[in-house]
Amino acid sequence: MITLLISDTFKAVTPEEIIDRYPNSYNHFVLPFVIGIVFIITYLLIGLIRILYHLTPQDRKKLLKSLVTPKTAWKNIKDIVLDCLLHTKIWKRKPLLGYMHSSIAFGWFLLIVLGHIELALFAPRHLSSLSEGSLYYPIFYRFFIWINPAHETLRGALFFFLMDFVLLYILSGIALAMFKRVRSIALGMRHTTKPSLADRVALYSLWAIFPLRLLAEGFTADLSGGSFLTTPVNMLFKTFFGNGLNFMPTWWLYSICLGLFFVAMPFSRYMHILTEPLLILFRNAGLKVRKPRKGFAEAEIYACSSCGLCIDACPMNVQKKNLKYSSVYFIRFLRRHNTRKITEIANKCLMCGKCAAICPVGVDSPAIRRAHRETLNNKTDYDYSYLTNYSPQFATHEQNTPTTSKILYFAGCMSHLTPRIIKSVETILRAAKLDFEFMDKDKGICCGRPLMLAGKTEAALKTIEANRRIIKESGCHTLLVSCPICLKVFKEEYKLSGIRILHYTQLINELIKDSKLHLSKSDSTMVYHDPCELGRGCGIYQEPRTVLNCIGVLKKAKKERDESVCCGYSLGSLTLDEKERTKLAESCVDSLLEEKPESIITACPMCYRAIRSKASVAVKDFAEAVCEHIADK
Amino acid sequence: MKNNILVIGGGAAGLEAAANLERLGYNIILIERDKQLGGHLAKWDRLFPDGLPAQEVLDSLLDNISNVKCFTETDIQAINILDKSFNAILSNGITVLADAVLMASGFDIFPAAKKEEYGYGIYENVITNQDLEQMFKQQQSISPIPRAIGFVHCVGSRDEKAGNPACSKVCCATAVKQACEVKELYPDADVYCFYMDLRMFGRRYEDLYLKAQKSGVRFIRGRVSEVAQTADNRLLVKAEDTLSSKPVRVNLDMLVLMAGMRPSEAGHKVGIQLNLTTEDDGFFSAKDGMLSLQKSKLPGLFYAGACTGAKTLPDTLHEARSAAMEIDRYIKENFIKK
Repeated sequence: MITLLISDTFKAVTPEEIIDRYPNSYNHFVLPFVIGIVFIITYLLIGLIRILYHLTPQDRKKLLKSLVTPKTAWKNIKDIVLDCLLHTKIWKRKPLLGYMHSSIAFGWFLLIVLGHIELALFAPRHLSSLSEGSLYYPIFYRFFIWINPAHETLRGALFFFLMDFVLLYILSGIALAMFKRVRSIALGMRHTTKPSLADRVALYSLWAIFPLRLLAEGFTADLSGGSFLTTPVNMLFKTFFGNGLNFMPTWWLYSICLGLFFVAMPFSRYMHILTEPLLILFRNAGLKVRKPRKGFAEAEIYACSSCGLCIDACPMNVQKKNLKYSSVYFIRFLRRHNTRKITEIANKCLMCGKCAAICPVGVDSPAIRRAHRETLNNKTDYDYSYLTNYSPQFATHEQNTPTTSKILYFAGCMSHLTPRIIKSVETILRAAKLDFEFMDKDKGICCGRPLMLAGKTEAALKTIEANRRIIKESGCHTLLVSCPICLKVFKEEYKLSGIRILHYTQLINELIKDSKLHLSKSDSTMVYHDPCELGRGCGIYQEPRTVLNCIGVLKKAKKERDESVCCGYSLGSLTLDEKERTKLAESCVDSLLEEKPESIITACPMCYRAIRSKASVAVKDFAEAVCEHIADK
Repeated sequence: MKNNILVIGGGAAGLEAAANLERLGYNIILIERDKQLGGHLAKWDRLFPDGLPAQEVLDSLLDNISNVKCFTETDIQAINILDKSFNAILSNGITVLADAVLMASGFDIFPAAKKEEYGYGIYENVITNQDLEQMFKQQQSISPIPRAIGFVHCVGSRDEKAGNPACSKVCCATAVKQACEVKELYPDADVYCFYMDLRMFGRRYEDLYLKAQKSGVRFIRGRVSEVAQTADNRLLVKAEDTLSSKPVRVNLDMLVLMAGMRPSEAGHKVGIQLNLTTEDDGFFSAKDGMLSLQKSKLPGLFYAGACTGAKTLPDTLHEARSAAMEIDRYIKENFIKK
């Protein structure tokens, strides 16, 4: 917009305004930069082809379709601008950290764009072909040109100002970054990662690039023009050195740093800058991680910025020794193909999804872990053929009503181990005068989620298929579940089109809205624990809170909603022992008791058992709490 | 002047130790949290392996403590160490200065409601071993006459998830004893024992097991996975039979949970005040596990009974006697001038 305005106002370009200092448009100092940029572009192209090659044909088709669908295409652009350039996700969590990232990313982006516009306006010849230096001219523009002082225009001055302003913006970010290296806690991070050698090379060259640019452009500011930053630098150094001999080495250094950065990039964490847009495209296309190291997963792995936010987020960090199981290290080992470590971390993880929820790049590392487990465990040890002919006798709650009920209740094995929950759900359904059938009252087939989590996909698909057949044959319109672990797999893998899949928190919320269930409010205080699979897993945060607000006073936990702390007893972990789980449960309870509520309410049988064994206050299941407040209208 | 000795806990261990110490000429102050003395023994009907009435044992223990000062319904509010002796402030306002303290705080029964899958506190016909003893004691019969009754061994013991990996030692024999008793009362009822493995280690325990088998008690090796209620308010118990490698499902009228032993909570509170160390299982740790079982790391503080881990009644009584001897030696060495 601004550029359009400018080009309209100052239409005529006088050739005298800008004069090439080097008639052949070349100087040796551009070499390091050129080598770097050619290297990184080649690397990226090969990488992209590799990743696309490893996608399944269906996934490739899906991706292509998403690129041409206007809705997803628009979302792609929006996500790339918001996430890759402006870093809105980090802004929301830690404003200072957000400023740091966006100043460097967005600032650098602006510098490149403005540089190209400037060149296009003033010396378009050099953008036209490689032999005219189109690869490096926009970057080193200030080196190659001479401004005719007699013809200096306002338009030129505006660019000088803009470029200097953006440079200042970036330099402020770099200053923050340097400060963060020394004191990460000031920017809101308790733990940060240790950088590898390539990280260091890339990091220090990145830090050096912009101050060097300031110096280099400053030294040439009397020839090629400058503004409020570069002109004073020029004048200051002129008085010190008295000559222009410092001029060449600085431009060389600037170019070397750029080149170094690009060469180190693929081996460092800074690869995320270039991979994140690809990840966004994949994600928006709805692709899923299928292999732990290839295809989509590779994009995820290289998109990890190694920022270490997941270290602080990981519930396992209550024990210092478990810091090493954080996603950032998992991905680092994946990059290095360290199979032993990969397996160790993949098996230890709770799969609570908190790291993925808070990841600024949105790397879904639990999905990669699951894919890795699949490579280890996906063999069917048992004969599941008996499942194909199994049909249960549904337990209908009213014996005399004909079996026309359309709600099918699946309690799942964990609810069966906490009979209180089943009893409460049944009471609520009866109070709301809903007719329902109990799918697994007597016998039932596992929902498949535990098998999925363990990487036993084949076995899981067998149980899923058996349950799917039973559900379809029942003719129900709603499948009600009381366990979020089941809910997640029903939603993701069952493909039950035409059947609503509801967690009891959702159903109860609807019943209250439709005045089918009446609750009495008390003034007792409570806190709600977000189960991983219900909150982060299925995005259900609000419904339980809405209902609980009808029966009591809801207090806040220290960490809640998508930052809720796992209770520690997640089925996700294959190797975590009882003592470690106990520690996790205790930290979960600590977070919940932040505002000293009288009771803790949760909506997952697993969390309920875990929290109940550790909490000093009353712990109730959601349905149980609702049950206690049923009012007769 | 007689030396004061404070005995914490009026169960079998506390009573037996008090009686022995009294005989040795000490002045005993015994405190008990409950209304009556006897601890768990007072709540039990008959004892394995011979079916001796618990009341008889308790009565003979009580006969021997005629001169012991007993404070029932009393807690320790504060206890600390003064030079060589202990200063305890009791909840009834009395302050006791004692030269030695015997911890005989015993055990608590595992809260069976924690194993919610067994339905204790949810279904009326799920009870614990202690509840059944109460029923026997009050000669309360089960109505209607039960057709089938089950016993679940190892509830809250040998169970890491319940926080107690240790064996509670007495439940196997208790379950078999109770199964026999039930079978005697209701000969037509099917009686099942769901066990992991039977630890019938004591003298004549094995005879008890044979008697149970002969009387028709069915032993199923495997854990109960869950308990549900049927439409006619009976219990549907799902378990695994690991001998035939098959799941079993039985309908029962009553399920008895053999709740295990946990460290006494009240004893634990006293332990904290004296900085007594506990092992991973929560029970107090003795000075060493072989030669000084009755001593603690704190001079003058001794242990007897189940406060240092699950024990049978005869073991507890032995420990009480040896603790009395240890205390006697300690007093003579430290307080009585030669």
